[in-house]
Amino acid sequence: MVGMSVLRSAAAFAARLNPLKSGNFAPNLLSRTAIRTDKVAVRWESHGKQMFVIKPTGYYDTRFLKLLRFYILLTGIPVAVIVTAVNVFVGEAELAEIPEGYEPEHWEYYKHPITRWITRNFFDSPAKDYEKMMALIHIETEKAEMRLKQQEVRKHMRMNGDGPWFQIETLDKNLIDHSVKSTPDN
Amino acid sequence: MGVKEITLDFLFLLTKQSKMTSDSDKNAYPEPPRQTPVVDKQTALPNPALILTKLFYYSVDLPVTTFKELVDGIQSGNKQKYYHQKFRRVPDLTECTEGDYLCYYEAEMQWRRDYKVDQEIVKVVQERLRACQQREGASYQQNCANEIQQFSEVAKAYQSRYGDLGAYASSRKCLMKQKERMMAANAKA
Repeated sequence: MVGMSVLRSAAAFAARLNPLKSGNFAPNLLSRTAIRTDKVAVRWESHGKQMFVIKPTGYYDTRFLKLLRFYILLTGIPVAVIVTAVNVFVGEAELAEIPEGYEPEHWEYYKHPITRWITRNFFDSPAKDYEKMMALIHIETEKAEMRLKQQEVRKHMRMNGDGPWFQIETLDKNLIDHSVKSTPDN
Repeated sequence: MGVKEITLDFLFLLTKQSKMTSDSDKNAYPEPPRQTPVVDKQTALPNPALILTKLFYYSVDLPVTTFKELVDGIQSGNKQKYYHQKFRRVPDLTECTEGDYLCYYEAEMQWRRDYKVDQEIVKVVQERLRACQQREGASYQQNCANEIQQFSEVAKAYQSRYGDLGAYASSRKCLMKQKERMMAANAKA
């Protein structure tokens, strides 16, 4: 046992002194020995030595790219298929003159079938939007008129004092104690 | 044959023999008179312009046209129609009483529609001038005098009416610009 350790330490010492000599091979990678360059492992044949290539992990990168592709194509492929099918089988509308006495619906003013579908099912007609805006403007105009009128009325009521506004409540006349007074206006 | 003749030949044959390009509206975009000379081939070498046009025809033009005809055949049964919307004329900004915000809104919307229409008019006139220049080639200044004059008139009118109104243009600002123009004209006269 002791002899074995002595031999081992002697071999390590010899390897440290002169690592390039063929007799001083130290199998431990962690010992400070030089790498042999005269005998290399063959890697480009099928029966070459299998190498354990040390490189940084690509796990997270490949996982990200796979997930990216998956989630983009999950909706991307159906959308592409639907749009192609619509363009090939339904096709865009043709421009035509408005026939006499006919009022087209609001979606019949658009060319592409998908736009027509969206405006038919989800959006209000532009005429309705216009009327909604006009309604808002009307409400705001009425509010502005009301506010101006209120300011005018307030001014008059304050100045004249005979209106219902700016009346300050006073105590009841009957609560006044006249018994200590010599004259009523004391 | 020089390179210039070959390229001219190529472009000419391309537009004439292809099914994809077709001119429209011969009044606004007239075709120049045909000047094809009699073919007087003096060499045994093949014409490269012809080869290229044939190549283009068989590789690009024919497949594209057959595909389009196929798709048109599929779509021919259920063709939808779309129309240009016609808007009624409403009172102008000058005909609105003060404080009538509803009238202001309708006038503003009408002015915006007219602004868009005027932009498209300028674009159409521009396109005509460009087509004329392309047709006439080197002698465009002489032959396209009508188009040039029409475009300069339209551009001047557009500039004087809508010129520097900016991105937040409105009918009110346009009216004020018109007032400034009238004041300048009065001051000059």
